[in-house]
Formats: sequence, structure tokens, C-alpha cells
Amino acid sequence: MKEKKNVLQGTLALMVLKTLDVLGPLHGYGIARRIEQISGDLLTVNQGTLYPVLLKLEQEGSITSEWGASENNRKARFYLLTRSGRKQLQAEARNWEQTAVIMRRFFAVKAEDLP
Amino acid sequence: MRTLRRFLKRLLFWTNTQRDEERWQAEMEEHLALQTEENLRAGLSPVEARRQAVLKFGAVEAMRESYREERGLPFMDHLLQDTRYALRRLRSAPAFTVTTVLILALGIGSITSIFTLAHAVLLKSLAVANPAELYRLGKETHCCYWGGYSQEKEFSLVSYDLYKYFRDHTKGFAELTAFSASELLLGVRRSDRPETAQSYPGEFVSGNYFATFGIRAYAGRMLTARDEQANAAPVAVMSYRLWQQRYGSDPSIIGANFNLNDRPFTVVGITPPGFFGDTLRNSPPDFFLPLATEGLENGDIKKPDLHWLHLIGRIRPGATPSSIEAQMRVELKQWLRSHWGEMGANDRTRFPKQTLFLSPGGAGITSLREQYEHWLQILLMVSGFVLLIICANLANLMMVRGLERRRQISVSVALGARASRLVRQALTESLLLSLLGGAAGLLIAWACTRLILHFTFSSESGWADVPISASPSLPVLLFAFATALLTGITFGIAPAWMATRVDPIEALRGAGRSTTRANSLPRKTLVVFQAALSLVLLSASGLLTAVLHHLESQDFGFDQERRTVVYIDPRLAGYRPAQLTPLYGQIHGRIASIPGVSAVALCIYSPQSDNNWVADVWVDGRPAPGPGDDVDASWERVTGGYFDVIGNPILRGRGITEQDTEASRRVAVVNEAFARKFFKGEDPIGKHFGRFEMGMSRSYEIVGVAKDARYLTFNLEKPISPFFFLPEAQHDVYPTAEQTEGDLGSHYLQNIVIVTRPGASLPFSQVRQAMASINMNLPIISIRTLQEQVAGQFRPQRLIARLTSFFGILSLVVASIGLYGVTAYNAGRRTNEIGVRMALGATRSHVIAFVLRGAFLLIISGLIIGLPLTLAAGKFLGHQLYGMNPYNPAVTFVAVVTLGLSALAASLLPAFRASRIAPLEALRVE
Repeated sequence: MKEKKNVLQGTLALMVLKTLDVLGPLHGYGIARRIEQISGDLLTVNQGTLYPVLLKLEQEGSITSEWGASENNRKARFYLLTRSGRKQLQAEARNWEQTAVIMRRFFAVKAEDLP
Repeated sequence: MRTLRRFLKRLLFWTNTQRDEERWQAEMEEHLALQTEENLRAGLSPVEARRQAVLKFGAVEAMRESYREERGLPFMDHLLQDTRYALRRLRSAPAFTVTTVLILALGIGSITSIFTLAHAVLLKSLAVANPAELYRLGKETHCCYWGGYSQEKEFSLVSYDLYKYFRDHTKGFAELTAFSASELLLGVRRSDRPETAQSYPGEFVSGNYFATFGIRAYAGRMLTARDEQANAAPVAVMSYRLWQQRYGSDPSIIGANFNLNDRPFTVVGITPPGFFGDTLRNSPPDFFLPLATEGLENGDIKKPDLHWLHLIGRIRPGATPSSIEAQMRVELKQWLRSHWGEMGANDRTRFPKQTLFLSPGGAGITSLREQYEHWLQILLMVSGFVLLIICANLANLMMVRGLERRRQISVSVALGARASRLVRQALTESLLLSLLGGAAGLLIAWACTRLILHFTFSSESGWADVPISASPSLPVLLFAFATALLTGITFGIAPAWMATRVDPIEALRGAGRSTTRANSLPRKTLVVFQAALSLVLLSASGLLTAVLHHLESQDFGFDQERRTVVYIDPRLAGYRPAQLTPLYGQIHGRIASIPGVSAVALCIYSPQSDNNWVADVWVDGRPAPGPGDDVDASWERVTGGYFDVIGNPILRGRGITEQDTEASRRVAVVNEAFARKFFKGEDPIGKHFGRFEMGMSRSYEIVGVAKDARYLTFNLEKPISPFFFLPEAQHDVYPTAEQTEGDLGSHYLQNIVIVTRPGASLPFSQVRQAMASINMNLPIISIRTLQEQVAGQFRPQRLIARLTSFFGILSLVVASIGLYGVTAYNAGRRTNEIGVRMALGATRSHVIAFVLRGAFLLIISGLIIGLPLTLAAGKFLGHQLYGMNPYNPAVTFVAVVTLGLSALAASLLPAFRASRIAPLEALRVE
């Protein structure tokens, strides 16, 4: 089982976790819309790619899911964050911030700054 | 942790695929519905709203695929899918599948069968506790008696006295056991039942024999140190096999009295099943007797300078074999020095060089290993070659199958199939085939092993078979599985790789319009490879067959026709030396009176009967031989008329007759080799010689020279060795009573040779009756014709020659099929070209020549590669060729011609077919 080391997939997973953290239980379409709204056009992914990510997160135990009724009373699958998912989110968020800080510094460096 | 959890989840998900499929479907529908609603709200038409939703969702099938990959275990999924697919493909081509599985089964089966034997003979330990702790005396195995106080190269046999010295002084051994090196036969009769004596193999062992091996009694008790004491009551331990097969596991056997060689013994215990003693051999012992009881019979045990025991010890935890070895070397020197007074001059000269070696003893006495090691290596090599040829051939077949599906594969590639997946798919098919072949091969291996065991080792009826099981053990199963796997990968990898070389464009082109010609190169290479290996196998089998013929058709110097050999041993019925000559007279009289019998004589051992007595020869009037001089000659005792009975011509003088009695002068007949060795150019008649020592050099007067006859079953590549014959009726008198008594053993003749009149037959039952009328207690060990006896000696050679011939023919057939396939395929591909050629005026014979040229180019390349390899193979056979030159041009020629002819046969058919192509039709194919 080769894990695809895909940056996009990794970030997508993190976005899913954050979305669920902020908004609480949500169905797939809701998550997709939310990510779309927040990222604007920056992230133009096929919405369908979300579902494999959701499945993977669920298998890892970061989220759980259950059948429920959507706004217009349709049967929909709702996802919610688990405790371990919340811990994972915190850890990952810290990682991201550190990475972002390091990268920002790197890009800020100009030739004359170097001794 | 997370990964493990995910794996478990996936495993779980994988098991309920159906439900997940529904979930995916439901979620997707839900998603699309929500998106469509939103699009509707944004003012799109219903149709457009749905279309946009689907577009936004992305390629549904691709999503579904990646969803699936996340869900279950794709590896398992693919494996199952590929297996199902491969099974379907194999089912749709039953002829191909059955043939391939059969060929694979033959290949894997034969190599597994040889491995079964090699594992049992070369790798397996004795059926004892902790065999790794056992060490034995001696680097090589020596048999069976060695006299004096010095041994060549190493001290590997010991006397009872020396055994006790080692046992009592070597502290590194927890136990040190001794047992007789020669095979012992016992005449066995239960005393309290009226039954005729039967002969069974036995062995003299020290009291701690079973303790050393860690063997506990199955019933009763095993021997102990007390049984080894000289005054102990004679007891015996019986094998489980005999107890079960002959006595039906009768519990009253324990404690029962038996007559063993007409002496009373009490059976005290039964060995556990599976225990076969200290040596892997045909007919392992059925009785274990304490060493002390040997004293009742021959008294070898009392002679400190008669070495007839093997030693095996169990080392103490912490002791190292090398330190024990060093200590035992010192002990050996000490013991020898303590016998300095009794040592002869030669022994004293050799004293400084006397040494010994210990070697791992877990496998016991490995005489069988030494005998068969090279044979098994040859057979493993040969069957490996056959498997390689089969692999090459199947690789070819698979490639053709691959080519058939080129279009299908190019469509798959065009649709985005991954290369790894295609390779896996193709490999699955080959692995499936090879595993099926392996499973069927196990059956063939079992049958083949049984057959080989039957032909190589067949024991006398009632005796134990060689303790090698034909049924597959765990190592054998693993071997077969690994071989099958390896075979599948070997013949599958190239075709699988080829499958990925398919250009998607190809699918769009028409059939037969392929622009790539490179594909035929690997297939041709494989045919060349097969031809080369087949040539090697053919010439190897030719060499071995030639050797067998050479061995069997040599001039043995005696007549095999109309001759029967009866094996007896007067010791088994308790005969004393003085009773022997009258017994032989009786035997002679009774058997000679059987209708159809023309003459009878007895001897210690008949030619080619696995026996050999050797003595130092001291010629009268010559200086005493030094320690390094070779004065060996084989010898034996015979009754009057022996030379006529065995059909060994007397060239000068006379043979041994009835007139050579105790009262007449002591005579001897020698063979030509003896005359050449000891009387170069002189006339040996009238000369004197003796055995043992200078004082005895006038013992015998030579009265005749017999033609060289091949008695020995070894040294077959060498000229016949010196031999002398003494009359049974004359006894030697030596300076000491002990020596004189010792020589009485040579008067126990063990072979009766019977000649029948031309045209008459000799029913063995009449021989048995005649013998029973002399003494019910004298068992007949076996009866066979002299022809059978001689043929039996070449059993391994015959088996090897037949097996390699079988392998050679198998490889030839397989290689021919391969050549046929390639030629037919190439001819088919070039239909257009041939059509054009014919249209331009090429005749049919041109076309045939054209196709044949292609085929023979391959075969000749194979020959060029194969010829040097045959030389290497001949060299590898080495000693098994019995002195025959491994570079045998006749054999090579026959092999080349055979290969050429079968190549011709294989390529003629496609050539003819090609020549029948009608030019117009060929062009229409375009």
C-alpha cells in the first residue's frame, strides 16, 4: 500500500479537519463548498477528490461519519471530528505554521542580508 | 500505529465491498443533487444545472477508482482480479494450460524428487536427540577391519581396548559410544517356537550406545553399561520395525528367548519407531547386541590390535571439539606407546605420523553420503538444466500468447492502464501455471522418488528398507514451492516485460502491419539457449550411457550364464570350524543331485558380490617389504572345481581340485595380475609365497594361473587387481595358536555357486529344500543368478544413465517444440514476403530452404554455444566416467546429429506449409 505523498491531498485533509473543527458536523457537499469559499479560486480541485480523502481520514480515526438528514431532508452522510482528529489538527496546524514561518523567512532573505 | 489501524480498517472494509459501493454511490448522488439545486437557484436550466454539477464533481470513474483504492486493499483486490482473469484465460485455452502444467510438473517434479533424495542423503541428521552435539572419529569413512598399531592417513577405526582408553580418559565427551563398522548378519530363531531360522542384520554396540544417542526404549529397556560386562547375561534390543512386521507388536517378545547365531539371547527392549541406528543405509540393523557378546563368537573384542569399531561421542556443554581432538591425539600416542612391545617394525616406523580427526557426527557414519554425493550433484544439475530449458520454452510460449493479445494490451494502455499493473497481470498468469505445475509436480516427485529408491536400494525380503521417505517433508514442500515460484518468475518476467513495450498506436494499425521486428530477437535467443542446453544434456546422457555399456560389456573373466549364487553363512547356524568341511561336502552332494544341476562349488565370495579380502603377500626368497611397499593382493578360499563352476579359465597349470586336502601339499592359484605384480616376467608356477609375515613365505606353492576376473565392485576404471585362491580344505598353521585360530574365519564360505546344464532351469524352491534337508537352522540369506548379481552392481550407473537419457529426451522434445513454434510463427509473419518472392519466381524448394535456413541458423548458434559447455559437462562427470575420456567425439557427434534431426523435423512442417502459400492469396492478406 503505497501512500501517495501528495501535497495537495495532505493539505486537503488538513482543510477538511479545520472545516469540521470550525463548523461541526457537515456532509461532503458542505465541506466541499466551504473549502471552495475560503480558498476562493486558489484551489480548483474536482469536488469528487474530497471523498477518498474523507474515507482515508475516517479509516485513520480522525473523523467519524453517520447517516443523517440534510437541509432539504435528503439522506446524507455527516462527518464529525473525533478527539484524535482534533489532536491531529492541532499538531498539523503547528507544523504548518512553523513551516510557513521558515519558508517566509527564506523567501524574505535578499543577497545583501547574507554576511 | 495509525498505519496499522488503517490497515485493519481496510481489511475490514475489504471484506464488505458491496456496502461501500452503495455508500459511495449514495454520497455521490447526494453531492450532485445538492450542487444541482444550488445551480438551479443560480438560475440555470435543470439540464445545464445537472451538467455543471457533474463537471464540477470531476471524472466520476476516476474518482470511483481512487475511492476504491483508498477503501479496501487494492493489492489484494488486484491479486484476486488478476487471478480470476488469469484463470479465465487459462480455462479458455485448455490444451495450452494442460500441456504447460504437465511440462512444468515434469520439470519441477524431477528436480524435487532429486532434492528429496539429496536432502535425505546429504543434509539430514540421524533420528536421535540433539544431533548437533555428536562428533565422530574420522574424516572419512573406513570399513571395516584394520589390523596392527598404525593406520594410513588417520586413525578412524579403533579396537575395543582403544575404545575403552578413549572413553575413560576423554572428559570432553559426556558419552562416547562404539559400534561395529562391518555389517553383521544374524541367524534368528525364537527359541520357544518351532520356526526355521531367518537372517536379519544386527550390530554390536557399546552399553552406552542408546544413552549417547538419547534414545529411550519404546518398550522394555535399552542396553546399559552393565550389559557390556564380560560376564553379563546375553541380551539384545530389537528394532521397532521387526517387532511390528514380523512379530505383530507382540508384547511377549520382551523377555523372550531368541537363538541368535545359535546362541541364547534375551530380548530386553524395542527401539522407538524411526530410529535406524548410526548409519543411513539399506537394511539398517534389526538387533542391537552388547559388544561383550561379540566375545562369544569371534573374540575380536579381545584383540587390542584389531580395529573394527566406529566411535561417536556426545560432547559436554562448553567443551570444544578441537580441544577434544587435541586431547585424543595425545591419548592415541599414549595408548600406542603402552603397546610398544607388541608393535611390529613397520608400525614403529609409522608411529610418529599416527593422528586422528573428529568430524561432526550428527549424520552418523556417512558412507552413503560419500557414495552418492557426486551422483546427486549430477542429477540435481541435470534436472536443473531441464527446468531451465522448460522455462525458456514456456517463456517463448507466453510471448506468443502475449503477441496474440497485443491489440488488447494496446487498447488497455491507450485507456490508461499502468505498466506495473500489466506486468503484474502477465506474471500472475505464469505464476498460476507454475504453482499448478508445482502441485502436480509433487505427485510426480513422490512417484519418481519411490521409483529411484526402488531401483537403487532394494533390500532382501523381510529386511528393512533404506530409511528414506518418498513422501514430501516440510523442506521438500518448501523447495517445490520456491522452485515453482522461481520458475514462474523466470519464464514469466520476459513476456510480462514485453507486454509493457506495446505502443498504443499499434492498436490503431491493422493486424500484421506491425513495424517493430525487434520482438523476434528474444524468442530466437531463447531457442538458441534451449538448443545449447539440450546438446549438453544429450551428450552427458550419451557419455553416461556409453559408460554403462562399457561397464556391462567388459570382459569380466568369468561366465555369467546358467549360474546361480546362494548366500549362506554357516556362523548363523553356529557351525564350529571343524564341522565346516563336512558341511560343504553335504551341500555339494545335496545340490549336485538336484536335476539339471551340472556342478557346484563354494567360495567365501563370488565375483561382483561387494566383498573383498586383502592380505600382504610375502614372496619366498625376496627381501621383506618395507612399510611403504605395496604388497597387497585380494584373496579367497574355494572348494574343488571352483574355477570350472565360475567359468574362470585356467591359463597355465591347474585349478583347485578335490585332491587338495589337509593331507596334501599347500597350494594356491593366482591370477595374471598377481603373476605380473610379484613375478615380473618369471614363471610363477612352482614359486612359493605366504601371508602375514616372512616366516610364512613358503606357505603356498603356486600350481596354476587363472585368467584375470573382475571380483571387486570398485576400482572399475583400473585394471583387474592381483588375486590368489586357496583351497578351503587346507588350513594354515601359524607360529601362535591365536593367529592359527584367527585364520579359521576364512573357512566360513558364504557363497554356493551352482551351474545348470544348458537348457535346464533351476527352481529356487528345490535349492531351499535341499538346504533345509541339511540343517533347518541354516538360513538362506538370498538366492540370485550371477547375471542379476553383476547387473545389480551397476544399478546406480544404470539409473543415472536412464534418468539423464530421460532428461535429455525431455529437453530435446521441449526444445524441438520451441523451435517449431518460432519457425512457424516467423513463417506466418512473413507470409507476405514469401508470397512476393514466389510471385517473383521463387520455387517451392527455395521457400523451404529459406525457412529451414532460418531455423538452422538458430540451431547452429546453439551448437556453437553448446559445444564448449559439453566439454565442461564431461569434466564435471569426471570420476563417474570410470576412466573414459570425457571428450568423446562419437558421443558428441551422435548428440549433434540427434539435435539436428529433431530440429529438421520441427522446422520441416512450417517450411512445407510456407511453401504451399499461393502468391495471390498471400498478397491479398496485405
